[in-house]
Amino acid sequence: MKYVGKPIQRIDAYEKVTGFAEYAGDLELPGMLYAKLLLSPYAHARIRSIDISNALKIQGVVTIATGEDFPFRVGLYVNDRYILARKKVRWIGEPVAAVVAEDLETAEEAVELIRVEYDPLPPVLDVRDALKHDAPLVHEELGEYAHSPAFNPIPGTNIANRFVVKKGNIEDGFRKSDVIVENEFFMPQVSHVPMEPHVCIGQYLKDGSIKLWTSAQSPFAIRYILGYSLGIPLHKISVYVPYVGGGFGGKAGINFEPLVALLSKKAGYRPVKLELTREEQFMTAPVRQGFYGKIKTGVTRDGRIMAKKIFYAFDAGAYADYGVNIGRAAGYSCTGPYYVPNLEGESLTVYTNHPWGTAFRGFGHFEFLWAIERQMEIVAAEIGMDPVEFRLKNALLPGLTTATGEKLREDAGRVDQCIRAVAEKIGWGTPPVKISSSKVRAKGIAALWKAPAMPPNAASAAIIKLNEDGTILLSVGVTEIGQGTVTALAQIVAEELSVPVEKIKVVPFRHTDLTPYSWQTVASRNLFMEGRAVIRAARDAKEQILDIASQVLRTPKDDLVIEDEKVYVKGRPEWSIYLKDLAAGYVYPDGNTIGGPIIGRGYYVGSRLTYLDPETGQGYPALKWTFGAQAVEIELDEETGEVKILKIVSAFDVGKAVNPLLVEGQIIGGGVQSLSLGMWEEYRYDENGKMLNPNLTDYKIARAGDIPEEYEIVVIENPQKDGPYGARGVAELAMLSVPPAVANAIFHATGININNLPLTFENIWRALNKGE
Amino acid sequence: MLPKLEYSSPKTLEELFEVLEKYQEKAKILAGGTDLLVSLRDRVEKARHLVDIKKIKELDRLEYRKGEGLIIGATVTLRRILESQLIREKYPVLWEAVKTIGDVILKNRATLVGNICNASPAADSAPALLVLEANVRIVSKEGSREVPIDKFFTGVKKTILRSGEVVKEVVVPEPPSNSFGRYLKMMRVWSEDLAIVGVAGLGYREGRELRVRLAYSSVAPTPLRIREAEEAFTRDGTMEERIERAVQVASQRVSPISDVRGSAEYRLNLVKVLTRRLLKQMVEVV
Repeated sequence: MKYVGKPIQRIDAYEKVTGFAEYAGDLELPGMLYAKLLLSPYAHARIRSIDISNALKIQGVVTIATGEDFPFRVGLYVNDRYILARKKVRWIGEPVAAVVAEDLETAEEAVELIRVEYDPLPPVLDVRDALKHDAPLVHEELGEYAHSPAFNPIPGTNIANRFVVKKGNIEDGFRKSDVIVENEFFMPQVSHVPMEPHVCIGQYLKDGSIKLWTSAQSPFAIRYILGYSLGIPLHKISVYVPYVGGGFGGKAGINFEPLVALLSKKAGYRPVKLELTREEQFMTAPVRQGFYGKIKTGVTRDGRIMAKKIFYAFDAGAYADYGVNIGRAAGYSCTGPYYVPNLEGESLTVYTNHPWGTAFRGFGHFEFLWAIERQMEIVAAEIGMDPVEFRLKNALLPGLTTATGEKLREDAGRVDQCIRAVAEKIGWGTPPVKISSSKVRAKGIAALWKAPAMPPNAASAAIIKLNEDGTILLSVGVTEIGQGTVTALAQIVAEELSVPVEKIKVVPFRHTDLTPYSWQTVASRNLFMEGRAVIRAARDAKEQILDIASQVLRTPKDDLVIEDEKVYVKGRPEWSIYLKDLAAGYVYPDGNTIGGPIIGRGYYVGSRLTYLDPETGQGYPALKWTFGAQAVEIELDEETGEVKILKIVSAFDVGKAVNPLLVEGQIIGGGVQSLSLGMWEEYRYDENGKMLNPNLTDYKIARAGDIPEEYEIVVIENPQKDGPYGARGVAELAMLSVPPAVANAIFHATGININNLPLTFENIWRALNKGE
Repeated sequence: MLPKLEYSSPKTLEELFEVLEKYQEKAKILAGGTDLLVSLRDRVEKARHLVDIKKIKELDRLEYRKGEGLIIGATVTLRRILESQLIREKYPVLWEAVKTIGDVILKNRATLVGNICNASPAADSAPALLVLEANVRIVSKEGSREVPIDKFFTGVKKTILRSGEVVKEVVVPEPPSNSFGRYLKMMRVWSEDLAIVGVAGLGYREGRELRVRLAYSSVAPTPLRIREAEEAFTRDGTMEERIERAVQVASQRVSPISDVRGSAEYRLNLVKVLTRRLLKQMVEVV
């Protein structure tokens, strides 16, 4: 192959590094106004009154909105959110009012003058407390919320969704086990910390249509939810998305777009811009949910897993409109990449008075794999088996069934190969080494898997247009959020139509009026699904090209071939015609014209995916499973708790690396994010639920200097036959399972099990000194 | 957003004094601005007039005079200090401490004098200047005075500077001959961070006897030199006993707080561990 499989530079690199790539924050519209939000100081309270009179007196203030102005709810899967808090506030940071002014300084000044009276209510600040039968309710009216049929909220509780999976006979499985091990695991809420905080501009037009310019991952989801919630037909809503400065899932759902649209209406139809500060990004933008897990594993002496009882509770925070799907995804994948014959799994999405959670790269898997991969290590130690051998013995291989009873397809990826690869590269099998009186080096391993968390009907599409000079425009609905999909898609077009990548432009913005549909840019689904749609669109264009060429060259279509921007008669390269001469119809010397503009179209949906059985969770949720494994070598300073990561090895079965350079970039980027989340990232709260570290001074994320010096990557390519050129997605996978590998290494170094994240140096020091 | 601010950039100290007199407590001096702009944006700092001192030539000195020592002017950036081979060799504790402050971009703007005037308990340069027994040269319309650095800090974000006074430069005297200095700093990440605990040490020989100086960041309301711990090395006992005595005394004299960056308990442990490590190095190297 000429283009697919080649490590070419990303096609948007030049625009991005030179700074002329357009982002939502760059946009200024004539007559534009600026919004500033007033945030709730209470985690849980009734709003008694809001006095905006003083704020309205400030010169330059155009309008002020409160929850009562917009008495309807929005949400992706569950309609549980008002546009602005109405009647009640549910987390510290929830927007209570919005000032719209001629400039931002005025809006900021006016916000300070709004007076709100609250009646505080007891907050729920721990996911386990939220499940107690006498817990205060975060959503008293849960039973009234419209929701997608795939979800199961329990009115009268804080449970936004309950997902259950049952397989085999669990009592029997535990009876046949020699050893039963049970442990609890925890991780806090974290932020996506995109380089570009949320920005959106909305304009409500007098004819009732809406225009949005936004830093969002999924323009079509926004259009659909907005239309559904406000009762506006979809052709009257336009969503424009330029380049997005990082999303990581935080921009996947519908966030502040309805607010700016409605503020515009209230402000006399002028466009309104809302741009979050970094502090607001922490306080009021959605976060990744917190997680509590409890796993009971039954195993035979010779290391065969017989049964697992799994309980996951996701701390969804104040709203779970997107969040319900995270608990569901974690539920159907709950075993990790292992064969478990007898299983009972329950995965709850639970409302609390923490900031509201949404999608986050890895979508439930980063969370539960922490629990599963720690538990695997603990169980292996209990039965005295090498943890790599234990994992291999229970690896989920083609032909075995997953938690939902899906028989793993023949051409599925191979987790055993990934585990073996990282074990070899890290030099598995050597004991920890003491290198000084306080420092010890050790190794740890963890495996992983994930399938796209999406409904069975998630769709993708592509349009390819041939220009008059033979260059090509590719239009797709997947947004470019840094992941590089568009470069890989350009390579696929190049391969299919035999046109150099430089002559292919992927339209660098998404506009719901022009761009073909894509369900969402999430779930590591877009190379696979858009990839298939692009192949179909290219082949559609090819058919059209050959139809005309066949007439011009007076040769049947099946005797023609497209190569090097020309159509040739096979075996007769002297008889050819340039693609450009067919782009808008072929013109004969006398002016006669045949054919017309070439526009290829393609779509893709997964085949034979199903909804899951509400009682047992059985069914076919997965388009593809991607497998991988991580290994680390650490150096632990037992006196300070400081852990250094000397080396990471990552192996993924990607099916086919369409662009090996981008695969490598994703793997290192993901690995560093994983490390950062595992070691440091954490929403710290005071006793009232107020975030204590809403800034990058005290919310630590990995920086360039924190990337481990040694980073080795193993790309395994067992092709999936229905993937584009055999490819599977890897974008989210790259950031799974580094934290359990580190904690497993700490366990080998010290014998101490740490089951709560993050692994800050202080937390490690505490764990090592417990009992002293 | 930053509040609306007035700005002036005097070219001489005289002009500077005039501006300070005119605006009094509403004026704030801007050098690197890396602390000030954050405080202004957070509304912690209420000043509304920024006086940029970067155009005042006299404040730009970075000079070493044999016998007198090193002079670091108020607008000398951390980057210039790091680029000085002389400082690296002669004042390694200062060089090491400066190296740990912020990232590359910040070092290009931030100044050493700004670091001490901001008077954070976590100021990394302060423990180094404390063990080097630096002096602070303060000027005002009324004249000038020179204050030892250990009298400069009076509390969290507080110094002895009076209204109208400006730090012109810091003077770091010639260190004892054949001395060895190090700054050990515990951070929450591997790359750049504020000090959870920082320890500066200077070791030298008085005759054949090892003498040390010890100073700390992030363990008390101000950067702190602990002379009582140093005195362990003027008493009897084996080297190991002296080190342990110094560690004990130091851990009794610090008063760390618990905050979002670390607990008092953890900080106390770090004081002990880092002091012990530093002193062991002193014994080996000096």
